[in-house]
Amino acid sequence: MIALLALYPGIHTVLTTSPVGAEAVALLPDVETMTAVLYFGLFAMSFDFISGYTGYLSFGHAAFYGAGAYFVVLAANGKIPFVPAGTSFMLLLVLAGLTALVLAIAIGAVSFRLSGVYFAMITLGFSQVLYVFVRGWNYVGSNPRDGVFVAGERSGFEIGVPFIDSLNVAIGQLTGDEIEGLLGAISLSAGEVSYYAIGVIVVLCYLAMQRVIHSPFGRVMVAIRENEERARAVGYDTFRYKLAAFAVSGFFAGIAGALFAGFQRSVTPDDTFYFLVAGDALLASIIGGFGTLVGPLYGRLFDESVREFLSTAGAGGGLLPYLREHVPADVLATELVGGVTVQGAIEAFLNGHASLYLGLLFVLFVLYVPNGLLGTLRNRLGGTVASWTAHQLERHR
Amino acid sequence: MIEGLLVLSGTPIDATAPIALQVGDALGQFLRPSTLARVFVDGLAKAALYVMIAAGLTLIFGLMGVLNFAHGSLTMIGAYLGGAILVVLVGGGGPTTLALFFVTVVAVFGLLAAFGALLEVGLIRPLYDRPPIYQILLTFGLTLVLDELARIVVSFYGLQPITDWQAVLGTKPPILTQSVGLGPVSVRGLALFEIAFGVVTVLAIYAFLTRTRYGLVVRAGSEDSEMVDALGIDVRRVFTVVFALGVGIAGVAGTLLAWDATWGASVPLASETLLPAFVVVIVGGLGTFRGTVVAGLLVGLVDSTMTWWFQNAIEFTGLPEMTIFLILVITLIVRPQGLFGLAEVGGH
Repeated sequence: MIALLALYPGIHTVLTTSPVGAEAVALLPDVETMTAVLYFGLFAMSFDFISGYTGYLSFGHAAFYGAGAYFVVLAANGKIPFVPAGTSFMLLLVLAGLTALVLAIAIGAVSFRLSGVYFAMITLGFSQVLYVFVRGWNYVGSNPRDGVFVAGERSGFEIGVPFIDSLNVAIGQLTGDEIEGLLGAISLSAGEVSYYAIGVIVVLCYLAMQRVIHSPFGRVMVAIRENEERARAVGYDTFRYKLAAFAVSGFFAGIAGALFAGFQRSVTPDDTFYFLVAGDALLASIIGGFGTLVGPLYGRLFDESVREFLSTAGAGGGLLPYLREHVPADVLATELVGGVTVQGAIEAFLNGHASLYLGLLFVLFVLYVPNGLLGTLRNRLGGTVASWTAHQLERHR
Repeated sequence: MIEGLLVLSGTPIDATAPIALQVGDALGQFLRPSTLARVFVDGLAKAALYVMIAAGLTLIFGLMGVLNFAHGSLTMIGAYLGGAILVVLVGGGGPTTLALFFVTVVAVFGLLAAFGALLEVGLIRPLYDRPPIYQILLTFGLTLVLDELARIVVSFYGLQPITDWQAVLGTKPPILTQSVGLGPVSVRGLALFEIAFGVVTVLAIYAFLTRTRYGLVVRAGSEDSEMVDALGIDVRRVFTVVFALGVGIAGVAGTLLAWDATWGASVPLASETLLPAFVVVIVGGLGTFRGTVVAGLLVGLVDSTMTWWFQNAIEFTGLPEMTIFLILVITLIVRPQGLFGLAEVGGH
């Protein structure tokens, strides 16, 4: 799957210039959207890391995403004490993660005295306090309600191996690097470079979380989800385990937020600290597979694809531009009922209303597919996809 | 209560201070009887609204253990539905009468209760034997659907979904838009109406719970629904009825909010009401109706006090909105089960 993601920009280019190009433009998300899928997917994974594995629904997870995002923008503007404005982005990523980690320990130390619904609510309460606070805090920018952006005309944030300039690339839609003639043949646009750079970080974070899940520590997390009293009776100090898991989860949520800020170069309270941001992560987790680490990434991919397919602007292709080009105008102008044309109906009921269909789908998933896409696939195959593939190959050898 | 203490030590101070007051002057301002009275009445009006919003949520949680995330969306739908009925009844413009308002309230209650019953039977009933997290998830999905549906319908009729529906505000009867002299202070008529409406609702729910046979079953079901089932009472039907009631009350609260310019009928009303409703229910203790009423009063009064302070003395625009979440966090730190809650409710 990682290979498929790595090849995606290439596939996208090939398909959109091929004979089925128009259909491909309508159906496939473009590379910028895929970049968004990556960093938000990382956030959804970190949400799943705590909620799906320990069973504690962290409804205020947006706080850590927001902390990471605001850290990067404020640091770039030189507003964080002891962090000069020119600090390298790789260092900022780690620092943003650590900020979120400290925040997670502070919130977790209080919240893990509670469980169930109360835990979900107190984390929600903390994140809303931060949301309102950031919205009204003049220090972050002149108009905090509308968010802040990276001031100055500095070059894009650079991702790469520290201290080796030739191994660093800048990310961003306008400020990113372009690479031409790599290995003599491959040329990448700014969007594609950002996609790969962010993709590498996301994969590294995924592998790190995967490592934790499959360690003895991860087994204790699952034990807490299955039966916390028994885990405690066996002798584990569950409070510490939960707190540590929450801290790790907060760390990666902070990195996801930092990647988001680095790529977009501006943040607003509403797309970082607001509780519906955590709601989006929840949506991705449920559709992808709750309690499967990589599932949320697929969930988010699905989610973004549907949104883009039904978007009003149709910037990255979508249903309406496709129909406009390929369906005769008189079909679109046909009256359905009471003077509503086909085009009018599509505009009124489909475009820009992806939340409706995602919500319906979400409800159906909760009712009938509680394990999500990946969880169900794993149940069918009787193991993870990787082990199933290995097994199949073994049989055919 | 804070206010009571302050009245005892209150000494009127002349108010010649400019807009940006020193804290000492502000304290003097605040302690003047007229200010205190206005803050108190505003607080009661807010409290009445908070209790109205939260009452349905707490009824449903108390009996069924379902934290209904769609509550805010249902309130929002109630606001639009009530607004639509009012606008149609008065024939597009001009004020209405209180009698027509009560007709509207009954109609909204009936419609939303029916809708709530459908939701319970169709969607929530299959989830009772799953972990409680799934009910949160399902109702969360419902909010997405309901909000987006509302947005589609509202913009279909040419209204702006994110701004308040002005036509409904215009249907307020003239009695409510005037200020009423109450002793030395004048009070907004709407505030008094909201307080009266809230008190009547609370009394009605209280009477239902304690004075009727059905209320007895509901209270017994909150204690131990399996035992009630074993005694031969169809608990599933009681669940449906209570869910319908809770949703109906949410709708009525929404209708009331549609008249209040600080809330108004708009799609974002869903999350604007959902979060305070959660705060009130959790602070009071999940599932206790008495706790919800007390917490509503507390939150309303603290909210209006803090709003006055931050508007007059401390310059930080965001803080009034922050107060209620701070109340939530502080309550959960000091007393995790809420003011009147039992420790074992709401956990796993």
